[in-house]
Amino acid sequence: MSSRFNRRSLLRGMIGGATVSMGIPLLDLFLNENGTAFADGAPIPTRFGTYFWGLGLTDTPTGGTRWVPETVGPGYEITPELQALAAVKDKVSVFSGFRAIPDGRPNLVHWSGHASILSGVAPSSTGRFEGASFDTRVADALGGTTRFKVLDIDASVSRRPISYSTRSGSTFASPDVTPLDLYQRLFGEGFQDPNSDDWQPNPDIMLRQSVLSAVTDQRKALMDSVGHEDQIKLEQYFTSVRDMENQLAIQLQKPEPREACVIPTPPNEIERAASVDVVNANTKVMARLLAMGLACNQTRVFNFVHTGGTSETYIAGNSKIYHQITHDEPTDAQLGFQPETSKLAGLVMEGLGAFLNEIDGVKEGDGTLLDNCLICAFSDTGYAKIHSIENIPMFLAGGAGGRHKAGQHIHAPGESVTRVSLTAMQLAGAPVGEFGDGSMRTSRPVSEVMA
Amino acid sequence: MTHHPLRKLQALSALSSAVWGLCAASLLIPLSGFAQDSAVDQDDSITVAVRRLTESQYKNTIRDLFGDGIEINARFEPEQRENGLLAIGSATLSLTSSGFEQYFVLASSISDQVLGEERRASIMPCEPRSNVSDSACATEFISHIGSQLFRRPLSDAEIAARVQTAELGASQAEDFYAGLKLALTSLLVAPEFLFRIEQAEPDPEVAGRYRLDAYSKASRLSFMFWDTTPDAELLAAAGDGSLHGNAGLSAQLERLSRSPRMEAGARAFFEDMMQLDGFGNMVKDPAIYPKFNQLVADSAKEQMLKTVIDQLIVDQGDYRDLFTSNETFINRPLASVYQVPYISGEEWAEYEFPEDSDRAGILTQVGFLSLWAHPGTSSPTRRGIKIHEIFMCEPTPDPPADVDFSQVTDSEAGTVRGRLLDHMENTGCTVCHQRSDPPGLALEHFDGLGQLRKMENGQLIDVSADLFGKTFVGAKGLAEYLHDDPRAPSCLVRNVYAYGVAKAPGYQEREYLQQQAQVFADTGYRFASLFKQIAMTPEFFAVQLPEGLESAVASSDSAAQQD
Repeated sequence: MSSRFNRRSLLRGMIGGATVSMGIPLLDLFLNENGTAFADGAPIPTRFGTYFWGLGLTDTPTGGTRWVPETVGPGYEITPELQALAAVKDKVSVFSGFRAIPDGRPNLVHWSGHASILSGVAPSSTGRFEGASFDTRVADALGGTTRFKVLDIDASVSRRPISYSTRSGSTFASPDVTPLDLYQRLFGEGFQDPNSDDWQPNPDIMLRQSVLSAVTDQRKALMDSVGHEDQIKLEQYFTSVRDMENQLAIQLQKPEPREACVIPTPPNEIERAASVDVVNANTKVMARLLAMGLACNQTRVFNFVHTGGTSETYIAGNSKIYHQITHDEPTDAQLGFQPETSKLAGLVMEGLGAFLNEIDGVKEGDGTLLDNCLICAFSDTGYAKIHSIENIPMFLAGGAGGRHKAGQHIHAPGESVTRVSLTAMQLAGAPVGEFGDGSMRTSRPVSEVMA
Repeated sequence: MTHHPLRKLQALSALSSAVWGLCAASLLIPLSGFAQDSAVDQDDSITVAVRRLTESQYKNTIRDLFGDGIEINARFEPEQRENGLLAIGSATLSLTSSGFEQYFVLASSISDQVLGEERRASIMPCEPRSNVSDSACATEFISHIGSQLFRRPLSDAEIAARVQTAELGASQAEDFYAGLKLALTSLLVAPEFLFRIEQAEPDPEVAGRYRLDAYSKASRLSFMFWDTTPDAELLAAAGDGSLHGNAGLSAQLERLSRSPRMEAGARAFFEDMMQLDGFGNMVKDPAIYPKFNQLVADSAKEQMLKTVIDQLIVDQGDYRDLFTSNETFINRPLASVYQVPYISGEEWAEYEFPEDSDRAGILTQVGFLSLWAHPGTSSPTRRGIKIHEIFMCEPTPDPPADVDFSQVTDSEAGTVRGRLLDHMENTGCTVCHQRSDPPGLALEHFDGLGQLRKMENGQLIDVSADLFGKTFVGAKGLAEYLHDDPRAPSCLVRNVYAYGVAKAPGYQEREYLQQQAQVFADTGYRFASLFKQIAMTPEFFAVQLPEGLESAVASSDSAAQQD
């Protein structure tokens, strides 16, 4: 079994069907030769991830902003709330002005925004999406050859585990919520050191495969005479079984060496508090583990939640939570914005900064791990005080193996957020030519950032 | 160029097959193979619901079948509350890849324990005649344990698939039990175990109608009354068909509700209804509430459950007294939060708050007060919303998106009442806040952890409330208001029904639920007999055909008529 895609086969697959539906940028993307390589000449795979934080960034009632750069195109300047991105700004593109368009559906607060970005449709009720989140489409394209098809991580220390990744629209992924959980999942039982000299296939794995074949044998009998909703649920169950089968099959293969892979030491237990300093510290530790998970080829796709939609993070010792402050805090007459809200937005962005710095800190090939990633970061709202789903801050970070012309500011007021989603999918290498529904349906990626 | 959707689909599926073909020849082609299998089963039964087993149902089942000593150490997939209940959400959930991974590891660990040298003798129905292979004994074990895990007899194919797994494993490892462990693991990760698959069959008494099959009825009853898998007697009553008759059903209901295991069932119900699943991840700012820790959170939840079980099951009390009675239990960590002495040498002790205490009933326990607050403050809105939602079945809609907060001024000074009064002046907010806030404001003598206080930011806290013209003062006033409000017992009846059938009642069930609420009132609001009352009604087992099956059923009916 090859652990790499054969570009020619991929192209044949497309041409055999119909090239008409594939936009030019997508073809470009498969043809470009900018990707970097491992020392032995094998191409380095592109990794894909989403990064979510709650409560957007701060705008002002008079149409001003604390985060949108004035410069459009390459070389944008660092604004107050983007301070934390300064170190990696040349590897990050900023998208401003993009909006979710609910097409007559209500703006479900702290839900419609990211549901639109991820599923391409404004949902009709909170807690559900109308379809799968797009990360699953990327995972289907990139994730089949690693032990984990996708890793879901939640650093928020919330009441309930938070994930916005879904295949069915109603069942959301169950994320690892502590550094220790994440460590054990990645480097505990079942981990095979890719750089080990004395690798042996574990015969138990084949026996475990036979356990699953007894389950899948019964699939047809089970799928007989079920209603539509139950069929979707059972299909998702069997998809999960298949992912497990794949995981076992991969463990039977000798892993390819990965020079960037250094097995980390187990992390300490975290403090159970949701204050922003704890969440950011958590984010940093989990990002470091994730970076090694990527470098050691345990997964190629991840979803990371820093804080949830209605973010309950706070500044330690302050009785009000961030969410409450965004709504209650008046606009300072002299400054023209909400100072406490903006301060918290800056602190929350320190989480993203730390996350990207960790990924960028791992050397891989001629560059860094971040150069071989495409990370789509976004929030649930624009200006949180009024639950705006316009001007939702979005970022694409990482070089995508040379495909992303990073370091630009794209300003497109009124354009649908799904254009950025589509761009992310295509940069990551997923075979998707069109995304979204209704007014958010698009086949136009943001070509300015595509090499 | 045109974008023809069908051609695009072909292109994408060609591409995806190419990818799959490349990376794993042994894998199944994703999704596309599933959609067509909609023919009706030979035996005419149809699947009417697929409900994911909850964490406690899973654990209880394993312990009932294999003993208390089995260690169950895994992270379960998060459950989801819909229309007020996790039980309703369980009918909408599937399993994600990471969730399945957890169940897979857990299943292997359980099999290792169950069929390890220490335990196997007490579990095995037979002794293998060889150390490696005995397919008769493997078959016996698989069909015996399998029927308890799947809650119905296994089909020949289901047994054969596992016997094959067992033989393969046994011959590879040269150990009969190594093979059998694989077979058991395969039962434990099967959808028929992890989901409660409810089946209906043509009703022999009414042509064209479906009825829940007897095994599905047995599961419904067992999980409702005991929160676990049906025992041998219940399965036998399903097997011989007696569960379909009134006498047989009545006898089983009597047995289920008189059993000491009814307590576990009632606990599971109230844990779901009162939304007590939030305690595991409750966070409080330690700088503001230094007394809070996970032990306090766990104790607060346990206190609520102990109180409910003692008053409603042990004492067979009136449900409405839960709102007013101050009889409860405390332990040392809670005594510190309540600021009362703890003199018992036991882990828990009975305690009654004195008559002149500010506390009154379950809503003034630390559990309710701390769960529905913020990490650093109380929240009258959150508490009020939850009182309406949990105890009156009146959910509050999401707040409007376009609220104009520009009038809101900072309220660091003074009490939270002032801040909320700002909402009342805003027409977009007032619709909900005039309903949600008053009960919460009556509880403002308790901070975000549930500790008693009279002042906030140097000002006396006003705990008077006006709920659509009904005025009351403080926690005691609220308790009496709820005690006398008929919506509270009606809501309980609705929740018991919805919990059992795992469906949100619709308009067509309105009259039925009103009747049941009346019966509940006439019998003195005794929760202890409410499960039995609801389960005895034909509505409890009524079958609603799921969307997508009506046509399959109609065509099988017409085929039957042609025959």
